[in-house]
Amino acid sequence: MVTDDRQSGYWPDLIKNSFGKSFWLFVGVAAAMAAVGYIVLGQDAFTDVIVRDRGLLADLLPRVAGAQILAGFAWVLLPRDRMSTFMKSNRGKRGLVLAAAAGAITPGGPASAFPFLAILAGSGADRGILVTYITSWALLGAQRIIVWDIPLMGIEFSIFRLLLSIPLPIIAGLLARRLA
Amino acid sequence: MNDAGALILYGGGVLLGGIAVARRDDSFRDGLSRALEQAVLILPRLIFALIAASFIVRLIPTDLIVEYLGAEAGIKGIVIGSLAGLVVPSGPAVAFAVAASFALEGASVPALVAFLTAWSVFAAHRVFIFELPLLGARFVRLRMLSVIPLPLIAGAIAMLVTSG
Repeated sequence: MVTDDRQSGYWPDLIKNSFGKSFWLFVGVAAAMAAVGYIVLGQDAFTDVIVRDRGLLADLLPRVAGAQILAGFAWVLLPRDRMSTFMKSNRGKRGLVLAAAAGAITPGGPASAFPFLAILAGSGADRGILVTYITSWALLGAQRIIVWDIPLMGIEFSIFRLLLSIPLPIIAGLLARRLA
Repeated sequence: MNDAGALILYGGGVLLGGIAVARRDDSFRDGLSRALEQAVLILPRLIFALIAASFIVRLIPTDLIVEYLGAEAGIKGIVIGSLAGLVVPSGPAVAFAVAASFALEGASVPALVAFLTAWSVFAAHRVFIFELPLLGARFVRLRMLSVIPLPLIAGAIAMLVTSG
């Protein structure tokens, strides 16, 4: 998790976290799948997958680095507390549209979106707004699209998926209001 | 990646970095520092997720993916894509590595849209780590019910648009 305090021991902890249990789980699954692949598919196919992976990674790493830098600046520049005040004071359909917009521009992963959602819930925003906000963050979140969609799926597919997903958070919010 | 994608990523970074510098406070340093943190957290896992996904997808016979998720699969592809997205209990490194591999093996655009939409709105790990503890079971239940139709709607819109 990312916090704003940077005492000594912060970076070593971060690196320990990065190479922690779940990292070794990924390594284990990758090694197991590579072993199964070698046995089932034979050496030629195994080499082929490795060569393709190397190409994919060489292509991917600069983009992921660029995406992280862009997302890092966006995180610093966006006024997160003002967004919350703004959304609380708006209800009705307008509120849903604002919640969708706020979800799309909320920087950071779940560690920042869910606490923000809890603050909104505590400050009396209705269920429709809450559902729309978090659905929008999940589907339209600019950070997710920049960091994952564009590098891995390509710009054309990403924009296509983004455009057709625009109405979805509002649909979910309207459903939530009806169900609540 | 084509040029438009590179322009957005690198141009956007330069633009926001310039704004951060112009603020004359710690914004620039904080932004870079956060980028480095996130890269340190994500990259090691992403690399091995990609390797694992590429072997898994190669081990699933290609004709099976094309049959269930290919353009010919139509609505069935959307439903199966949605269900597949539902059961990926992990973060974006795995979900997007799998989606990229599916795409290489011939999965259709509507099936991929349904897959990513389902994973985005349900992502089981997020529910257990963040949503249940912070928002409670009643909210989680209501939200789940509200987002059930979304992957199918997204896949259906994608199918209507791509089939012209």
